[in-house]
Amino acid sequence: MYLEPSMKQMVIRRTVRKFAEERLSPVAVEMDATGTFPSEIIREMAKLQYFGLEIPAHYGGAGLDAVSYAIVIEEISRSCAAVGLCICVHNSVSANPIYEFGTEGQRKTFLVPMAEGQAIGTFCLTEPNAGSDVSSLGTIAIRDGNGYVLNGNKVFVTNGGMSSVNLIFAVTNTTGKQKRYSVFIVESERKGLEKGPNEELMGMRGNPVCPIALNDCHVPVENRLGGEGQGLKIALSSLVDGRIGIASQALGIAQASLDVSLEYAKERYQFGKPLSEFGAIQNYLVNLVTRVEGARLLTYRSAYLKDQGLAHTKEAAMAKLYASEVAVDVTRVGLQIHGGYGYTKAYPIERYYRDAKACEIYEGTSEIQRLVIARSLGYG
Amino acid sequence: MDIIVCIKQVPDVPNIRLDEHRMTIIREGVEGIINPLDCVALEAAVNLRERQGGRITVLSMGPPQSEEALREALAFGADQAILLTDPAFAGADTLATSHVLATAISMLKPFPDLVICGRQTIDSDTGHVGPQIAEELDLPQVCGVNEIHPQGDSLVVKRLYDGFQDTFRVNTPALLTVSQDLSSPHHIPLGDLERAFSDREIIRWAIKDLNLKPEEVGLGGSATRVWKLRKAASKRRGEIVTGSTQSLVEHVIRKLEALSILDEESGNG
Repeated sequence: MYLEPSMKQMVIRRTVRKFAEERLSPVAVEMDATGTFPSEIIREMAKLQYFGLEIPAHYGGAGLDAVSYAIVIEEISRSCAAVGLCICVHNSVSANPIYEFGTEGQRKTFLVPMAEGQAIGTFCLTEPNAGSDVSSLGTIAIRDGNGYVLNGNKVFVTNGGMSSVNLIFAVTNTTGKQKRYSVFIVESERKGLEKGPNEELMGMRGNPVCPIALNDCHVPVENRLGGEGQGLKIALSSLVDGRIGIASQALGIAQASLDVSLEYAKERYQFGKPLSEFGAIQNYLVNLVTRVEGARLLTYRSAYLKDQGLAHTKEAAMAKLYASEVAVDVTRVGLQIHGGYGYTKAYPIERYYRDAKACEIYEGTSEIQRLVIARSLGYG
Repeated sequence: MDIIVCIKQVPDVPNIRLDEHRMTIIREGVEGIINPLDCVALEAAVNLRERQGGRITVLSMGPPQSEEALREALAFGADQAILLTDPAFAGADTLATSHVLATAISMLKPFPDLVICGRQTIDSDTGHVGPQIAEELDLPQVCGVNEIHPQGDSLVVKRLYDGFQDTFRVNTPALLTVSQDLSSPHHIPLGDLERAFSDREIIRWAIKDLNLKPEEVGLGGSATRVWKLRKAASKRRGEIVTGSTQSLVEHVIRKLEALSILDEESGNG
């Protein structure tokens, strides 16, 4: 068993870290303060192929393996979690499903501009009354001639404020006991699709998260992703891989917190010696380092299993659950190590703390991840 | 324009550790990176190719793991990569290294128009290798250039030296070593990295491919030996000054002026 990244993966980490430290770290504070996402960052990252990470080169992507993908998201999130979230959602639950389930026409029309970073994607499942509980989905798509008419409301749409391509999950049967779900690729400029104002978020504030309303939105049948009724399968499959992305994101935030906390503990003197020489602080740091490394192993392993074409539903859920809880713990304890200074905006740890919390909630709450893992054990 | 860029894989400086007994840098467990000034050399080559057309060959002497640096250079934009690797090359000083690199360059057909090296490496900092290659190949050389302008069959290059800017016209073929001021290396697209590691080839030449004798390379071919290697004690000392903000600012300005960092008359750096 060999548990080290390959030569290529090490160079990818170094390359992404250099880019992120030079270009993203300097804008992260302002993105958080103003709740804006600089468009020049998108253009720059598009040229460097961050928007088609796992998409093959002939569709305009970088063609990376899943472990490399995880490393990229980790490193981006280490510098700026809001950008990490954008790249993660765009790739794992928007571009990847179009590649995996799309027709050749859909790949050419939607995937190529997405992989080239010309069109930003979203994944619109959550509704005011349906999040973890997918069966409560209320968005309806009624067949109308050569297309569908969509009505409903989506909320908390990551990347929503800057998206061009939206994957909308809707119910396509109005009769029968069992709801059947389908997915539609809906362009942002399509008549009947309206975006609401961006949410005022606690963390990940640079990402334009907004509601999307569908009011008699006519969508041609060729925009349906997969067959009618395949929506749940597409959603669940996308979310499994999405979890690897969120785990990577949590890992990046945790690593950033660890880096600044280790540094702070060396620099801050109390009672005539640095904090790092106090046993209590050392214990904190040792526990954090160990847990971050554990989260890294779980995350990379789930990505590795995906690369091998092996089942990884349980492993991705474990990675997402563990890494996001570690991120919240590392930022919380890291803030404690920073003391009063950590509670100010002069230090980045308070931002990491706010950013980390989202990882326990989106793309399946920690409670849902536990449900997925419990089912893999034969419960429920 | 056929360009050769010589690169070296070096340990990432913050992580450098020394083996004082064997008098070498400990490379095991330390991440290797392309020497930063060699990235500037690569960037210069990519810019020249954009303007003049041609081909970039990246060349490195080192252990087998130097392949990583060469693949990164391919992703950076090089067209071809050659790794000069052989256990016999181990222990080489700058002279033996230059000899191996110069021999490899002399074997290339056609002979390159330009050889570019970083001015020095961050792990040994000698600045010898570029000039020694130029001497062995009898090429005109300019070291530490910060501007390169092709003009017909020659190059107009500039360098900053002792506060003066020198301008040279150099006939090609020539060798240049570059300084940090020349350019900022571009960020590498991820797809180029993927291809460099999955699809591209690295040409490997050992001692027999270069028709060299063991006594010409490695320790045997070295003119120097490291006599002693130890970690220098840091002599940086801080100075704690107290007082009002105004007096502290004035103190700092006086210090910077004394160090000639701040110009007394203009107030500019």
